[in-house]
This record gives sequence, structure tokens and C-alpha cells, in this order.
Amino acid sequence: MFEFLPQLLASGLSVGMLYALIGLALTLSYRATTVVNFGHGDVVMAGAFTIFLLYNAGLPISVAIPLGCAILFAFGVSVQMTLMRPIMDGPHLSVSMMALATGFVLRGIARLQSGAVPLQLPRPYPMASFDVFGVSITSDDLFVAGAVLVLLVGLTLLMRTKRVGKIIQAIFQTRRGAELVGINVPLVQGVLWGSASALAAASGALLGLTMLVTPDMGSWTLIRGFAAMAIGGFGSLGGAIVGGLLLGALEKLLGFYASSVFIEITAYVVTIVVLLIRPQGLFGKPPSQRV
Amino acid sequence: MFKTPRVITSTPNIAAQAAQPPARSQRIFWLVPAALLFVPLFANQYQQYVVNLILVYVPVAVGFNLVMGNLGQLAFSNLAFFSLGAYVSALLSLRYGIPWGVTVAAAGVASGLMGLLVGIAALRGLRAFYLAIVTLALGELMRWSYINIGEFTGGASGLALPAPSFFGWAMKTEATKFYVFLAIAVVVVVSTNRLLRSRIGRALVATRDNELAAAAMGIPTGLIFLITFAWSGFMVGVGGAGYAALIQYVSPEAFGLRELILQFAIVMVGGLGSLTGSVIGAVVVTALPEFLRSFPGFFELLLGTAIVLIILFLPKGLASLLQPKFPTLRYRYTGK
Repeated sequence: MFEFLPQLLASGLSVGMLYALIGLALTLSYRATTVVNFGHGDVVMAGAFTIFLLYNAGLPISVAIPLGCAILFAFGVSVQMTLMRPIMDGPHLSVSMMALATGFVLRGIARLQSGAVPLQLPRPYPMASFDVFGVSITSDDLFVAGAVLVLLVGLTLLMRTKRVGKIIQAIFQTRRGAELVGINVPLVQGVLWGSASALAAASGALLGLTMLVTPDMGSWTLIRGFAAMAIGGFGSLGGAIVGGLLLGALEKLLGFYASSVFIEITAYVVTIVVLLIRPQGLFGKPPSQRV
Repeated sequence: MFKTPRVITSTPNIAAQAAQPPARSQRIFWLVPAALLFVPLFANQYQQYVVNLILVYVPVAVGFNLVMGNLGQLAFSNLAFFSLGAYVSALLSLRYGIPWGVTVAAAGVASGLMGLLVGIAALRGLRAFYLAIVTLALGELMRWSYINIGEFTGGASGLALPAPSFFGWAMKTEATKFYVFLAIAVVVVVSTNRLLRSRIGRALVATRDNELAAAAMGIPTGLIFLITFAWSGFMVGVGGAGYAALIQYVSPEAFGLRELILQFAIVMVGGLGSLTGSVIGAVVVTALPEFLRSFPGFFELLLGTAIVLIILFLPKGLASLLQPKFPTLRYRYTGK
């Protein structure tokens, strides 16, 4: 029975990398604005669709992907600046709803563009399968893992070595304080929100390569992103990554040892259980209310 | 601007203080259901169906608005309540032959119990987006279970239901359904109005505006949470049963994010926190999916844009347009 464990773990970690990236992008926008982007799943979907449209227009896929990310970056910045900035001072409820509503709009546009036909992005690398110590690893797994690792390393370096990390922390902890010391908070928030959207586009690209792209994949993506954040702890970037990997592994293990129907609901159940029992997840802070 | 609070100079009787009957000017609103009684004389089958759809969504909107607008919690539990109500009603009438009229109560109670559970989860400290995420996950979990429990719940293709009957009165035409749905909608609106104007309603709004201050004042915020979620669940469950009776078909597809978008838009467009808003929202938004059926994608586009515009320019929804003209509509304690 346990002879399948390495294989399950390998494929679990592979899909977990995707979840980690989604959760990471969500956490980034959360840390920038203290608002959870309920439309993030749809942004991921929009990224995948944009890349597909670019590819369809004739661009090679290796150009379409970065260009799609850049477009989504611009989109994220403009959404943050035009739609969210005016209401940032109001109740957080409204801002989250605004994010949700923009997600709906994206979904509508995507459905108009594509109808009900699922799409797939072509792979910029050959399909192959390698046998490593008895575990089968596909080129998909390698590409996804590689891409996510590169992004992760880049992000970590950015956060740790440059002032960027300190600035983000300052804004998250106290917005007014950050403004008082001269940080251009609106600019940084816009840029971070845009970066989160660009990362979402990257996730969309990876999802599009390995799975089908449909206008409704936003809900699927969002829930998994939330589950990753919940496990790792809301607000923790590293936690989102660990959470994503754990979620992926858990899905595959449950799917094999329990039943394949459980693959779908692992994210839901994990989210509910974790948030009820330990809302701060692994690395987060316990939710608290300021008086 | 400081609003002078109403000073109660003598309080001989707590019970008298407990529920303020609606102001006399509110009695004029009974004209609306009275006028509606004549609708079946003028409407054809399809128009009647649309009106019925609106009436089915009134309890749903009221329930959602109660939790989101009056209690101020971002809880997407509506989807779970709605789908549970519909499925309970469907299963009881299809598998056990229980008449629909009875299943309405059962659906309400089941969803009310689920509401209680959500309230308990909220009391454990889940607020804001934590609660939203948990309730979203719950709704999706319910949908998964409808698909995967097996033949009993009809799986992915759903269940087709026989014509409902209301305590012996067969509801075979849209017109007969209309009167039942109208009665239910009126009961729901009137009772929620009473609730909001009572001590509980005031406690609700106090809890929303500042939970800790309310608790410090002696308001049992925990109990308020439970009551609100349970009552919301009950109403939305009843709405779900109505939905099952109207469409005579329940399937998991109907209770996904698309439905959430619709209910969300109803409440936002109508007016968050306003009972009138729930009704207005139901009237304005519910029929849209019907008209947009042949244009895939326009649904989300239109509703999403509407919500964005409402949040930016008319945050209190359409009800806020009417309130200056009809002061009785202004729920005095809408707060922020």
C-alpha cells in the first residue's frame, strides 16, 4: 500500500506548487492592502485567457506568457487605483465586494469571448516523462516546479535584500505610519496589486498548460488559493507556499487512500476545519480585533 | 452631525418597549400586496412565472440582507441555506411523498439549523473574510454532496419534481403558485420588519456598528449572532423550497457561484441593510437572468458592473434613492 506514497507525494507536490503560487499572489495583495481579493480566481482565469488570445493572435507561446503577465500587471494597477482607492477608507466589506465584482466582470468577458469551449495552452517544452527512483515525473511537473521556484526565489530576494520587503511590512502594519515616514502608499499598493495580478497570470499560464481553461475555473482556483492561505496562515508569504504544497499532497493522498471523490472537496474541508480550529494556520497571527 | 436620540421618558413595561409597531404611515405598504392580488388577471403564463420568480427571491434577499446588511457580516452562507432548503423540500416531496406545504417548514427548519451552525462558527471568532471564506467553502461542500451522495440526491443531473400542493390545494398553474408565494413573501417581510424594529433589531445594528461596545453595554451579541443567522437561514430555506416548487427541478448546477452573484447583486443593488432594499433588489435584478438567457457572459458582465457602480456611486443601493422621498422607508437605525 505504501509503495505508491512517493508517487503520490511527487504528483501532490507538483500540483501543490500551483496552489502555492495562487496562494502566494493572494497573500501579496492581502499584505499590500489588507483586503482579500475575492476576485483573484477570476484574475487567474483572465490571465490564462489573455495569454490564449495573444497566442491565438499569432504570438509564440513563450512571448504570449510574459506579455500576458505584463497586461495583467497593468490591469491590476489600474483596478487598484481607479476602483479600489476611492473606497479604501470605507468598510473593508465594500472593497472585498468590489474585488469580487470585478472578478465577475472578467468572467463575463471571458465567457463572451470563448463561449463554452474549454481551451488549452500549448506547451513551450516537449511532453516527456522521466523515471526517478521509481517515481514518474512529467515535464509538466518539472516546468511548473521550475517556474514557481524561479518566481519564489525572485520574490524572496526582492523582499529580503531590498527595502521593498520593509516597505510592504510597514504598509501592512500601519498604513498611516507608513505614509508619515514618507512611503508613497498608494503607489506601492497599486504596484503590489498589479504584481499579484501578474503572478495570477503566471498561475493561469501554468494552469492552462496542464489543465483546461474555462471561464468558470475562477471558483476552483479561488477556493484552492484560500485553502493554501488558510493552512499557511493568512498574511504569511512563506505560509502560503507551504500551505499550497501541503494541500496538493493531502489531495492526492486522500484521493488514493480514501476515495477519488475526495480530491475535489479536500480544499473545502481543509479550509473549514483549519479556520474553525486554528484560524492562524501554521505561520499566521491569530485574528484579533482592535478596540 | 449629531442626531438626538429618542428619549423614552417612562418605561412602565419592558414588553411595551420591546417591539415598536411599524409607524402608521407604513400601513400604506399593504397596498402593494393588495394590488398584486390582481396580477394573475392580466399576466400571461410567462409573465406570471417571472413575477413568481421575484416573489420566491424576496425571502432569499431578505435573509441575505439581514446577515450582510443589518448584522454587517460578510457571510456567503446564503448559497448553502438556499440549496439546502431547495433540496430538503425536493427530497421530502419526491422520496417520501410529503406534501410541499409541509416541506416548506422542514426546509426552513433545516436551513435555520444550518444557520445556527454558521452562527456558532462565527462566534468562534471568525469575522470578516474568514467567515466569508468558510461560508463559501460550506456552500461548495453542500453542492459537492448533492452530486456525490448518490442516487438519493439525484447526482449531477438533479431531480425533477411533481407539481407541489399547498395543504391540499394543488399548485398546478403559475397563478396558483403566485398566491402561495405572495403569502409567503408578505409573511417574511412583515415578520422581519417587526424583528428589525424590535429590541432585537436594535441590538443587531448595535452589534454591527461596534461589537465590543455593544457587548460592553450588555447586549448579548453572541445570542444576536445566533438568532440572526438562524432566522436568515430559515427565510432563505423557505425561499429555497419556493424555488423548488416554482422550477420543479433542483440540480447542483443551479446553486453555484452564478447564484451567489445573483443574490449578491440583488442585495447590493437594492440596498444593504434595508428591508425595502431587499424587495426592490429582488424586483429589479431577479428577472435579469431570464432576459439574458440567450446571451452567455452578459449576465456576469452586467451584474458585476452593476455592483461595481453601486459600490462606487450609490453604496446604499436603490433604496437610498427612495428614502429621502418616503421617510417611512428609512430604517432609522441604518447607521453607517
